[in-house]
Amino acid sequence: MSALLAKTLKSSTLKRALIFIAVFGAIVVVLFSFVHGSTVSYVRSRTDEMIMSEVVILKGAYARGGRDALIGVIAKRIDDEHFNDSVYLLADASFSPIAGNLATWPSGLRERNGLGDFSSEDQTRDAVNRRPMRASVDTLEDGTRLLVGKDIETLDQFVFSIRLALGLSISLLFVIAGAVSISVARRTVGRIESINAASRAIMQTGLDRRIPLRGTHDEWDELAGNLNSMLSRIEALMGEVKQFSDNVAHDLRTPLARMRGRLEKAWYDRQLDDKTVISDTIADLDDVLVMFSSLLRISQIEAHDQTAAFRAIDLGEIVREVVELFDAAAEENGVSLDANGDCGVMINGDRDLLFDALSNLVDNSIKHGRKGGRVSLAVTANDGGATVCVSDDGPGIPVEERQHVFKRFYRLEQSRATSGYGLGLSLVAAVARLHGATIEMLDKCPGLEFRLCFPKVVLSETRDTAE
Amino acid sequence: MTGGRRRILVIEDDRETADHLVDALTRSGYQVDFAADGNDGLRGASSLEYAVIVVDRMLPGIDGLTIIRKLRENNIMTPALIVSALGEVDDRVRGLRAGGDDYLVKPFAFAELLARVEALARRSDTVAKDTVLRVGDLELDLVARTARRSGREIELLPREFQVLEYLVRNQGQVVPRAMLLQHVWDLHFDPTTNIIDVYLGRVRRKVDGQQAYPLIHTVRGVGYCVRAAR
Repeated sequence: MSALLAKTLKSSTLKRALIFIAVFGAIVVVLFSFVHGSTVSYVRSRTDEMIMSEVVILKGAYARGGRDALIGVIAKRIDDEHFNDSVYLLADASFSPIAGNLATWPSGLRERNGLGDFSSEDQTRDAVNRRPMRASVDTLEDGTRLLVGKDIETLDQFVFSIRLALGLSISLLFVIAGAVSISVARRTVGRIESINAASRAIMQTGLDRRIPLRGTHDEWDELAGNLNSMLSRIEALMGEVKQFSDNVAHDLRTPLARMRGRLEKAWYDRQLDDKTVISDTIADLDDVLVMFSSLLRISQIEAHDQTAAFRAIDLGEIVREVVELFDAAAEENGVSLDANGDCGVMINGDRDLLFDALSNLVDNSIKHGRKGGRVSLAVTANDGGATVCVSDDGPGIPVEERQHVFKRFYRLEQSRATSGYGLGLSLVAAVARLHGATIEMLDKCPGLEFRLCFPKVVLSETRDTAE
Repeated sequence: MTGGRRRILVIEDDRETADHLVDALTRSGYQVDFAADGNDGLRGASSLEYAVIVVDRMLPGIDGLTIIRKLRENNIMTPALIVSALGEVDDRVRGLRAGGDDYLVKPFAFAELLARVEALARRSDTVAKDTVLRVGDLELDLVARTARRSGREIELLPREFQVLEYLVRNQGQVVPRAMLLQHVWDLHFDPTTNIIDVYLGRVRRKVDGQQAYPLIHTVRGVGYCVRAAR
């Protein structure tokens, strides 16, 4: 758990969150100081206005009725409980009190007229109670001095509570934001860590393990799901590669063992000056090399995008040429070979590869079809695409075997005896995939039909030109 | 086909392959120079006139394709045969685009290399504008597109005639299967089926059937050769 915390503290999510908290925090602090400053100055100016209007009223009384009227108003004010937060003091030129509810003239306010702060010692109660005051001082016409003040303790309390509220909310904001970002970062790090842990386990133990899903259907589950399907794909590919290398090893061993045996025999047999040993060995070697070049060819077609070399070609023409080329082979096997269908069926493609693929299909049909049977090729144009069918009237391929026949080195039990390495249909599949064509196998009862469907294409500008 | 000895430059870094090539080409009547790396090869190919350059694709110094490209930039059009252990389709195209003239994938039968070298060497000779080709008692009329043996006409399909014509034009030389496929069908790959053999089998039955001696000979693992009886 402490490891998780350490990772959380180092995580990029948390770092980013903290940067955002700092930026937003700074903005909030500036905003709050502005609110605080303007509130305080507003409240102060309201107090000053109230003091000044009192001064105006008192001065008015003085102007109308002289000192006695003023003293009367002051006395009335002192008795009125609406004015119990106010102080009044009328004093002579030497600051001796004449009337009012202050015992002495505050020492800080003797120098000049105008507004000022002082603190009173409230002697109306038993305890000495110092209170902050704000007061205006004026010198009247007869030299007496008038002090009108207000208790500003409530104001200070107000300012204090504003500060407290702002301070508390800022602190709370930081605490909550910090806690939230740590928990979010921790959750993120936790999910990533569980995926990481699963990945490490998979790297150490094998591809059969999977990343556990939480069933929350959130983006993390989606990520884990995608990684899992990637793992399944890799596992399947690894299986294929293993199967594939087993097959290569097997199909290589057989001719290599034959060659070794033959050479060994030639070595021990001193009188042997027959060249057939050597020529047989070369023929076997050539077979192996043909197998290798077929394999390389298939992987090259699969690995490299060769669509750049595509030209507009006539499928009908290729089919006719293939039929013409295989005419001799068909004749030899007593098979009747014919081509029918449309001419001028144009698609975008690679002539060499399509020729090779169709040759393989026809070769298969002639070899594995019925002796003395019939093999037909048909080309049809449809909706801008094209279909090529190669059908025979032989035993066909069992349904359960059909998904396997395109695998490299896969050979049907019934065709083990015939020559070949089981690479022909892999080549057909690779060429079809390159051309975006689909391959179907249909039962003809009796016989089998391979159907290659080429998709609708926009033809290349250039026509295939003979070199 | 050629008057005197002809010079060939072999640029190959693998000592054993190089020795084998030089030996065999010398025995076939060529005068062979040899360079073990790309820079020497390029210097040699630029300074002397050769009939054919046989160049390995991967070489220390400059690689084979670059050598050919540089030669072509300097207007040296000596035909080149690129020999490579790399795969076929894509590399072949790239090799030919660089200005090389033919391509052979390792390992190869020497007879195939020789056939290709000779085809390239002949390319610089003037092509005879014959209208009739003859070998032994076989006569090909290139205008009428008919073939006769001992005066009797052989019925051939147009493509079969083309195959026979190509073989007769190269009489005495081994013609590899891939070269036949290239020149007669304009297909540029080694077929994965034995179809050429089956096709040639029928041509042979038509040409050599019930005749005093055979003209079309199979060269095992390589291809075919048309030769009159000696």
